[in-house]
Amino acid sequence: MMQFSIRRVNAIFRKDWKDLMKNSYIIFTLAFPLIFAAWIGRMGSEDPAFQTFPIHFALVIAGAFVQAAMVAEEKEKNTLRGLMLSPASTAEILVGKSALTAVSTLVVVIGSILLAEYKVPSPPLFILSILLGLVLFVTIGTILGLLSRTVMETTIVGMPVLVIFGMGSMFKAMTDNEMIIKAVDYLPSEQLNMIWMELDREMNISGTIDNILILLAWVVVSFVIAVFVYGKRRFD
Amino acid sequence: MEHVIEVRELAKSFGNKVALKSISFDVKKGETIGFLGPSGSGKTTTIKILTAQLHPTAGEASVFGEPLEKLKDPSYMRRIGILTDNSGLYERLTIFDNLALYCDLYGISKKSSDEVLEVVNLQHDKNTPVQKLSKGMKQRVTLARAIVHKPDLLFLDEPTSALDPVNTKHIHEGLKQLNREGTTIFLTTHDMHEAEEMCDRVAFLHNGEIKLFDTPQKLRTRYGSSSVTVTLKGDQVVTVPKDEQGAEEIYRYMKDGQLAAIHSNEPTLGDIFVQLTGRNL
Repeated sequence: MMQFSIRRVNAIFRKDWKDLMKNSYIIFTLAFPLIFAAWIGRMGSEDPAFQTFPIHFALVIAGAFVQAAMVAEEKEKNTLRGLMLSPASTAEILVGKSALTAVSTLVVVIGSILLAEYKVPSPPLFILSILLGLVLFVTIGTILGLLSRTVMETTIVGMPVLVIFGMGSMFKAMTDNEMIIKAVDYLPSEQLNMIWMELDREMNISGTIDNILILLAWVVVSFVIAVFVYGKRRFD
Repeated sequence: MEHVIEVRELAKSFGNKVALKSISFDVKKGETIGFLGPSGSGKTTTIKILTAQLHPTAGEASVFGEPLEKLKDPSYMRRIGILTDNSGLYERLTIFDNLALYCDLYGISKKSSDEVLEVVNLQHDKNTPVQKLSKGMKQRVTLARAIVHKPDLLFLDEPTSALDPVNTKHIHEGLKQLNREGTTIFLTTHDMHEAEEMCDRVAFLHNGEIKLFDTPQKLRTRYGSSSVTVTLKGDQVVTVPKDEQGAEEIYRYMKDGQLAAIHSNEPTLGDIFVQLTGRNL
């Protein structure tokens, strides 16, 4: 049975926190979505599609890109190997390595909502959608970090993936191809959009249940891929 | 005596390149074993297989009586310490913070990091960020990390390769103390003096094969010369056979007061390696 110790997860979290405080690249990257949200807020639009865009942006940049950079740096500097050769289990390392990004992303998402002056329609359902998006994008970031050899490479490996997963909805406006439009409808960004627009109209769960289940499926699939890729990296 | 490591016909290939050709050996509890060989001889590959970082192509191995498949288990990792050429450190963190992480992962008191910093002679630098350290100091930090939990089995890949003689001596003393407390040590090295000073037994590895595996003393005796070199007063040097006639000759030099020195002509481990493989370490 796989072991799970909060003490070990906490040790990795505290190490990442101390490291983050001295990492100007990551701090700037986390600040970037907030600047964007402030700019959106200043434009004064009350269109929810426009106001929720900074939230997507925060999930992609703070959730996925920061996580990818942090995991890739562990690989680049050979410190991930050290963790893998310690008594920490796969679950402890993956959760420990994701914990700080998850907390930072939540702070950035809340900051983005406030700065973009977005009025959250149904807080419990909205929080549920944010949490699902958070887990999904942090997991995607973990996969990208594990697949990249260096921090620089996360940009090359990650950009196309994150554009599709984070901002895929934009493709619908660029094509008439029914198949592409249908495929885009299933992308996480589109699911989040549909949930938020539905909540803005109805403020109840009935119209969003399918979207929540599709997001949940994305979370499960990405989690399985992350564990598989991590396992591959366990051995040379 | 209990075997900590048992290896039978272990082989590893990377594509067409053969890294290990069916090697077999045992390591007893409390021993210090040295794997000697030039770069590419298979030393690091052996360590990587025994620490579950690589799958062997063929053969069997067990550590603490457990087969290789079980070595992925975190409970196994608690019992071993590893220093390899690619052991990384968190550069922005201090030496103490780097060690504190591992104290927490192993579930031991952070006081252990102070103790281990004395072993590697870095007790006065604990609050220095790793990025400000020299290469040798970083190697000492990775060594400290490998031994902070006092492992039952310690794998060291070229542990003193970047160190000056003073720190090498300091670390050798620390490792000997750890060994006296019960840690079995498996080390790879190019350094013959290190092998002679540290190891109970040494294996000569060449092109993925173990050419010899024995105590340094037995190897020197087996490959020693059948003569001794005698230096006489006036700096005259003569070679005398190690037999009855030679003994009489030496006796005569001593009796006549001519003897200045006798050298047994024992080869160094490096000499034996060259004799066996035709190449230097």
